Amino acid sequence: MKNPNDAAKRKLSKKPASQPAKVTIHKIPSGVRGLDDILGGGIPEFSFNIIAGTPGCGKTTLAHQIVFANATVKKPALYFTVLGEPALKMLRYQQQYSFFDESRLGKAIRFVNLSDVVVEQDLHAVLEEIIKQVTAANPSVVVVDSFRTVVRKAMSGASELEMQSFIQRLAQFLTSWEATTFLVGEYVPEEMRDNPLFTVADGLFWLSQVTERNSVVRKLQIVKLRGTASVPGLHTIRISGAGLQAFSRTLGLVGNKTKPARRRRLSVGIPELDKMMGGGILEGDSLLVAGPSGTGKSALATQFIAEGLRRGESGIIAVFEERPHGYTDRAESFGLNLKSPQEKGRLEILYLRPLDLSVDETMQEILDAIEKIGAKRLVIDSLVGFEMALAPGFRADFRESLYRMIGALTGAGITVLSTVEVEDTFTAFSFSHYTISFLTDDIIRMRYAEIDGQLRKVMVVIKMRGGNHSKDIREYVITDKGVVVIHPRSTDYDGLTTGIPTRTGPRLAQAEESAPEPKAKK
Amino acid sequence: MRVFAERLIAYETRGNESSGTKNPAAFPVCDKLRPHLATLMGNTGVRTLLSRALAQAEREVPSLRALRVKADGSLEHSGELEVQADPQELAKGSVVLVAQLLGLLVAFIGEKLALRIVCDAWPKLALNDLNLLERDRK
Repeated sequence: MKNPNDAAKRKLSKKPASQPAKVTIHKIPSGVRGLDDILGGGIPEFSFNIIAGTPGCGKTTLAHQIVFANATVKKPALYFTVLGEPALKMLRYQQQYSFFDESRLGKAIRFVNLSDVVVEQDLHAVLEEIIKQVTAANPSVVVVDSFRTVVRKAMSGASELEMQSFIQRLAQFLTSWEATTFLVGEYVPEEMRDNPLFTVADGLFWLSQVTERNSVVRKLQIVKLRGTASVPGLHTIRISGAGLQAFSRTLGLVGNKTKPARRRRLSVGIPELDKMMGGGILEGDSLLVAGPSGTGKSALATQFIAEGLRRGESGIIAVFEERPHGYTDRAESFGLNLKSPQEKGRLEILYLRPLDLSVDETMQEILDAIEKIGAKRLVIDSLVGFEMALAPGFRADFRESLYRMIGALTGAGITVLSTVEVEDTFTAFSFSHYTISFLTDDIIRMRYAEIDGQLRKVMVVIKMRGGNHSKDIREYVITDKGVVVIHPRSTDYDGLTTGIPTRTGPRLAQAEESAPEPKAKK
Repeated sequence: MRVFAERLIAYETRGNESSGTKNPAAFPVCDKLRPHLATLMGNTGVRTLLSRALAQAEREVPSLRALRVKADGSLEHSGELEVQADPQELAKGSVVLVAQLLGLLVAFIGEKLALRIVCDAWPKLALNDLNLLERDRK
């Protein structure tokens, strides 16, 4: 039995007598990764909540996770099943999740079937049965799944007033018994206006499935939650073998910013490019490397990561286009070993391309990897591939999401190099399709230029937010050492950025030369 | 499963062999399980599950056709059962029926949860060899 003094103690804080003490609302964990942050710390204790949504949204799984996160032998959970999913089937499916611990069934978690009472009797009998079971078990968590079926059956024989009275009495009873309650039901948003249940409820967890083209994304909204400041808006949820996982739409915008006050300049692994950047990229900056296909963006990114590893800085490569072994093979052709750091846990290559990702999930994966290996450098290769991996519904918000993600990562002190493919038009010099250049601190643009009857490559540092940089347009090649800047600024040409420069200097006598760019070994 | 069913029946009917009870030995076992299953599934659920177990058992032991599952999920039989069936057949029928019921439980919720329900129904029964069902299947 609960000690009645416990509740009294909880409700009284040690404030001076002159200041009446406010009640402290304790929070219980949801058991869902990411959800407690959305809820403002957890689910308010003794609250009366509704978990609503259309079929297949994960309502029952959410209820189970809450139950398994909170039920103990001393403070058990009562799970009332009604006419929805039979408990036998529920157990059959729910035991597939990793949070399901069958040893807790019976003593800590008790399933009670209310179907017979609901079918054969009236609302009064349903309430009496719930009261009987709750009084006997003294639970900390009570779930009724599906409450919708209780109401539907009851409404066939009861007046609206009776229904309201039932809900009121149920809520009062369960709160008085210090139980945190969850009524699970299939509802549509239109019902929120007239259904008295939604007025009585302290918390309303709304789950939905959003279909766009061929992609389906699950969303969660905390429509209301009394006594705590939850994060408004729609949050992405994913159901995996671990159950539900929630991704706050403000993920990364809150929390500690650890960008150091005095920042080092990090080498990108290309000495001449470091010089062009005023000594390297500032630690905690976001660098965008833009250029058309084949200009060496991924090669540069590989060198950036390899240089970090050489200096003892762990790294992460988030790959959206090629496969991880493509990266390690390329590095090998440049004489850079990425396999050993992977084996030693200093490098993680994340391969993310499921086509229905959300930016938040990607960010969570990256943040997890950062935490796991203590990464200092991150490569996102490429933003175009990243956008393709997102569910269509998220592509519209790609720019906003990138802003959040880059802000979160650089805020955590990570130096981020993102690549983006741009098409060379020979009339314009764009940096990306997303108008995202303002999101990044630094930009390097690579492009093709027709010089002396050859399609050569040039690069220029467009901006360095943290300081001055070279304005030179420099020619570079990709050799068996990776990207190598070869020539000093050329003053013999105008219009290099157009890709079709005009010679202004004297034409030098040229021997029959081989291409200045030996191909990298495959 | 049958070894396990036999064990349950033996445990539940211990000392009752000569008491002159007319009900098959499966009755008390099913009766003992019934409230635990009803908590999970309701009486309707128990009735459905037991009816299915009975239908499967009848294929092997035709005399079980004299049994019927009542609305509350309990078993009853017509008086013909004792007249028609010999005791050995009756005993076999009980084992087959209980085994079928346990088999259905295992098929739906797995061995661990099925055993948990059995443990709840017979808390004093030593179920230290929890792989009984597994061993029986081989």
